[in-house]
Amino acid sequence: MSITSSLANFLRPCSDFRISCGDPVAVRHAMAIITDIATRDPNSVAMALGKHIEHGGALHDILRLHDVLARLCLARLCYVLCRARALDERPGIKFQFTSLLYQLLLDPSDRVCFEAMFCILGKFDNTERTEERAAGWIRLTREVLKLPEAPSVTLKDASVKLNREKRASKAKHPQPLMKLVIRRLESSFRSFSRPVLHAAARVVQEMGKSRAAAYALGVQVDEAMQLHSSENDDPPDSQLMGSSKSAESHKTLFPSTGPGGIDTIASLLASLLEVVRTTVACECVYVRAMVIKALIWMQNPHESFEELGSIIASELSDPAWPSTQLNDILLTLHARFKATPDMAVTLLEIARIFATKVPGKIDADVLQLLWKTCLAGAGPEGKHTALEAVTIVLDLPPPQPGSRLGLVSVDRVSASDPKSALALQRLVQAAVWFLGENANYAASEYAWESATPPATALMMLDADKMVAAASSRNPTLAGALTRLQRCAFSGSWEVRIVAAQALMTIAIRSGEPYRLQIYEFLHALSLGGVQSQFSQSHFSNGEDQGASGTGIGSLINSMLKVLDEMYRAQDDLIRDMRNHDNNNQEWTDEELKKLYENHEKLLDLASLFCFVPRAKYLPLGPTSAKLIDIYRNRHNIGASTGLNDPAVATGISDLVYESKAAHMEPETIDPELAMAWAAGLDDDLLGTNAPALKKVNEFLAGAGIEAPDIEEEDESLMSRPSVVYDDLWAKSFLETDEPEEDDGRSSGTSSPESTGSVETSISSHFGGLGYPSLFSSRPSGYGVSQNWENKSGNDATRFSNASSTFEAADYPVREETPPPPSYASAVLGRFDTFENPLAGSGAQSFGSQEEDRSSQNPQSGKALYDFTAGGDDELSLTAGEEVEIDDEVDGWYYVKKKRPGRDGRMAGLVPVLYISSSS
Amino acid sequence: MLLAVLFTNIEGNILVERFHGVPAEERLHWRSFLVKLGADNLRRAKSEELFVATHKSVYIVYTMLGDVSIFIVGKDEYDELTLSEVMCTIISSVKDVCGRTPTERLFLDKYGKICLCLDEIVWKGMLENTDKTRIRNLTRLKPPTDI
Repeated sequence: MSITSSLANFLRPCSDFRISCGDPVAVRHAMAIITDIATRDPNSVAMALGKHIEHGGALHDILRLHDVLARLCLARLCYVLCRARALDERPGIKFQFTSLLYQLLLDPSDRVCFEAMFCILGKFDNTERTEERAAGWIRLTREVLKLPEAPSVTLKDASVKLNREKRASKAKHPQPLMKLVIRRLESSFRSFSRPVLHAAARVVQEMGKSRAAAYALGVQVDEAMQLHSSENDDPPDSQLMGSSKSAESHKTLFPSTGPGGIDTIASLLASLLEVVRTTVACECVYVRAMVIKALIWMQNPHESFEELGSIIASELSDPAWPSTQLNDILLTLHARFKATPDMAVTLLEIARIFATKVPGKIDADVLQLLWKTCLAGAGPEGKHTALEAVTIVLDLPPPQPGSRLGLVSVDRVSASDPKSALALQRLVQAAVWFLGENANYAASEYAWESATPPATALMMLDADKMVAAASSRNPTLAGALTRLQRCAFSGSWEVRIVAAQALMTIAIRSGEPYRLQIYEFLHALSLGGVQSQFSQSHFSNGEDQGASGTGIGSLINSMLKVLDEMYRAQDDLIRDMRNHDNNNQEWTDEELKKLYENHEKLLDLASLFCFVPRAKYLPLGPTSAKLIDIYRNRHNIGASTGLNDPAVATGISDLVYESKAAHMEPETIDPELAMAWAAGLDDDLLGTNAPALKKVNEFLAGAGIEAPDIEEEDESLMSRPSVVYDDLWAKSFLETDEPEEDDGRSSGTSSPESTGSVETSISSHFGGLGYPSLFSSRPSGYGVSQNWENKSGNDATRFSNASSTFEAADYPVREETPPPPSYASAVLGRFDTFENPLAGSGAQSFGSQEEDRSSQNPQSGKALYDFTAGGDDELSLTAGEEVEIDDEVDGWYYVKKKRPGRDGRMAGLVPVLYISSSS
Repeated sequence: MLLAVLFTNIEGNILVERFHGVPAEERLHWRSFLVKLGADNLRRAKSEELFVATHKSVYIVYTMLGDVSIFIVGKDEYDELTLSEVMCTIISSVKDVCGRTPTERLFLDKYGKICLCLDEIVWKGMLENTDKTRIRNLTRLKPPTDI
C-alpha cells in the first residue's frame, strides 16, 4: 500500500511532465504505467491526478492527442477509477472520470471507442464477474452522456470528415449511451475493413454477455422503455461517431430509428441485430464466426431462434469452416448456457445443427458435455425436449456419400466424404451412449421408484399391450427405447454394441414394463440371430456375424442372463411370499439371509453393467423391500455397503453398531440428484481430468495462446486438436479404425472379438476418462462412494482378482466358438470364493452381546449359542455344549468337543464370542 | 502483447520474423499456421487489404503488400484493431523505405533498413513508434524531430 502510494507520488511530477509534454509515445507509456498503478491503488492515483481531470486538464488534452494507444490507456484508466470502491466517498472525482470515459465513445478511432464500450459494459480483463457485467448493462442502458459545452475532441484524424458546426450544435444535447453505442456499431458494421467488422462483432458479443449477466442476476431492464432525450436525434449523428462511409444508407435502411420514431432499447437492439445478421455475408470465416458468437450471445431465452438457427445451418454448409472455429462456437454455446440455463433447449437445438451438419469437424466430447450440462439444466419440464434434441442425431438417415443435398435442410446429413461419415458414426455412438446413460434421468423413471409391481407387469406379456402401456406411461423413455432399439438393429456394428449396452442400462435402471420390454427385445434379438444363422447364413457381408445376426450375441447373452436371473429371483420371491402367507408363517432368519444374499448378488451383477444406487436398488422387485429391510436392521447391515462391508462380513457390525443408527444418510438422497450424480451431470464431479471440460473452462477463462496445430498433410486448415486428448477413453473407444492399439484397455473395447467380453468393456466404462465414468465420478458422501472409501485395499484386490478371473474366463470366448462360458456363472464363482472364508462368521453372528466377557484363555469353556460351521475347518456347536479350548487365532478358538457332534467332528474353529470361557 | 511479426514472400518463405513471448517450441507451429493462412486467403487479395483471424484468444491481422505478406499476431490489448494500427505503421514505413510498393527483390535490397524500422515500431512486444518521419529519423540515429 505504502509502496504504491509512494510510487504514485513519485509518478506525480513525472506524469505531470509527460502528460503535458507533446511526445505521444511518452504519454502513452506514462498512461499505461498510471493505469497499472491505478488497478492496485486507485485512491492515490485519483488524488495524484486530481487537477488533471478537471476540465482543460492534462487528461482532457489526451483526447486530442494523436495517439490511439494513449487514448486507449485513458479509457482503461477512467474505467479503473470510476469503478474503484475506494473512491466511493468521492463521487465528484468518480463522476469526472466517468464522463471522460463516456466522451471517449465519440472518439474517431474505432479502437478507442470500442475499448470505451468494453469498459462501460464491464469487460476489463479476462476475468468475468457477473455483477460487474450486469452493472455494465445497466450503465449502458440508463446512462446519458452530457457534454457541458462543445466537446474538446478536435479531430486531426484524416479518416474522419465531419461537419464541425453541426457537431458542435448536436453535441450540446445529452445523448443516451445506448443510442450512441448502437449507432456507432451500426456504422462500424458497414465498414469494409475486416478487423473493424470483427471487432464490432466482438463488442456485440460482449454486449450480449453483459445482458445475459443482468438477466442472470434478475436485474430488470425494461427494453421497451423509451430512451430519454431522444427528441433531437437524427441519423447524421452517426456521422459524428466515426469513419462511416455509408451513413447515408442509414436513414433508408432503418426508418424505425429515424427522426420522429420512438427509440426504445428493444428497437435499437433489433436494428443492430439486423445489421449484424447481414454481416454474416462477409467472406471471412473468422468474422462470420465472431458474428455467430455475437448472435448466440444476443439471443434471448424467450425469443424464437429460428432465424439464428437458419443462419447457422446455412453457414455450416460452407466447407471453408475450420474445425477450431466450429468448436469455439460450440464452446460459446456452453458459455451461453452457463450464463442463462433457461436457454438449454435452444442451445441444444443449435448444437443439433452442428451435429448434423458438420459431424466431422466438431469435437464429440465437447458436444457431449454440452448435452449433459443442458440436460441437467433444462429443468423437469425441459428434459424431454432436451433428450429429443440429442436423439434427433439418431434419427438421421445414414449419410449418402457424394450427396450434397444437405445444403438447405437442417436434418439432412452432409457427410460427403468417408472421414466425416466416420465422424458421424462416432457422434451417433456418443449419442447412443448418452441416451442410455441419461434416459432414466430425463424420464424420471427409476426401478426403485416404480409404482408397478412386477406381478402386474408380468401379466402384460402381450407385446403390443406392453408397448402401449409403456408409451402412455412415459413417452420420453418410450421414445428413447424405440430409438435405441432401432439402433440395435440397424447401424454399424459399433453402434449396435453401444445401443445394446444402453438398452441394458435402461433395463436395469427402469421399472416395469420397460425392463420387460427390453428383455423381450434383447431376447428376440439373440433368438432372431440364431435363426438367421441357421436359415440364411450365406448372407454375410463379410463381417463376422457372431452368435446372433447382429454380431453382438455374446454381449446380449450375458445381459439376458443377468435379467433372467433377476426375473427368476423375483418369481421365487413371489412364490415364497405366497407360501409364507398361506401358511401364516414368519420368515426365518435363514430364509432372510438367503434372500439378502441373493439381493446382494444381483446388485453386484447389475452394478457391472451400470451404476445403480445400492441403497435403493431392489433387483428382487419392490416387494422385497420390506424383507430386505428387516434383515438389514436385524444385522446392522448398512444399506449402502451391504455384505461387502468388512464389519458386516466378519460379524463385528453385530457388536459394534448395535445401538448406532448408522448409514441413514444414503436414504435421504434425492433420487433425481443421485441420478444426476450417477450420470456425472454435475460439472464439478467430472474432475479436472475430463478433457472436454478442461477445454470448456479454458475457453470460458479466455485463455489459450499456445500455437495452433497444423496437419501438414491435410488440406484442412487446422486439424482438430484431438491429439492432445490421446488418453481419452471416449476417443479410443470410438476409434474403430485404429489399427494399432497402445493399451490393453482400448484393445479391449475396440476390436470386434473382444467387445464380446463384457468385463473389458465394462471396466473401461468405469475406468475410462472420456465419458464421465460412473465409478470415477461418484460424489463423495453418497452411499456407494462411502462404500468404496471404506473398504480399501482389501476390496481393491478383490476387484482386480475378479476382473482377472473374468479375463481368464472370457479369453476363450475370443479364441472362439464353443458356447461362451457364462459370465454370470463366473461372477457366481467369484462370489463363492470370496465369501467363503467370511460367510460362516458374518452370517450367523447375531444375538445380544451385552455380556461382559473376560477372556483369560483358560482350558475349558461353554458354547453360548448355536453355531453352524461355515467351512471345513469350522465346528458346529449347540448352545450350552462344553468344549476344551486349545488356542486362539485371530478371533477364533480352536476347540475340541467332549464327544463328536451330529456331523461327527470333534475339533475345529469357533468364533471367540460364541464361547464363554471358564477359568 | 505483440506476439509475432512475420514477413514472407509469395511462396511462403519467411523473410523476417520477430517473436515476443512465444516459447521456442511453439514458433514452428505459428510459422506454419501463418504461412498456411496466407496461402489459403491471400491468393487473390488486393495489396494492403487487411485480413483477420483468431486462434483461441489470440488475434491475427495479415495483409499482402506487393510481393510480401505481413502477419502480425497479438493478444490482450493488441486486438484486431490495434493490430491494424500496427499494420498501417509497418506498411507506411516499409513503403517509405522502399519508395514504392515492394517487390521481393526490393524488399531484400532494403532488408537492413526494414529491420531497423521494425525494431523502432515493435519493441519487446509493444508498439513503440507510429509516426513515419519519426521512425525514419530514429533509424538514422537522429533525434525525433518533434523534440
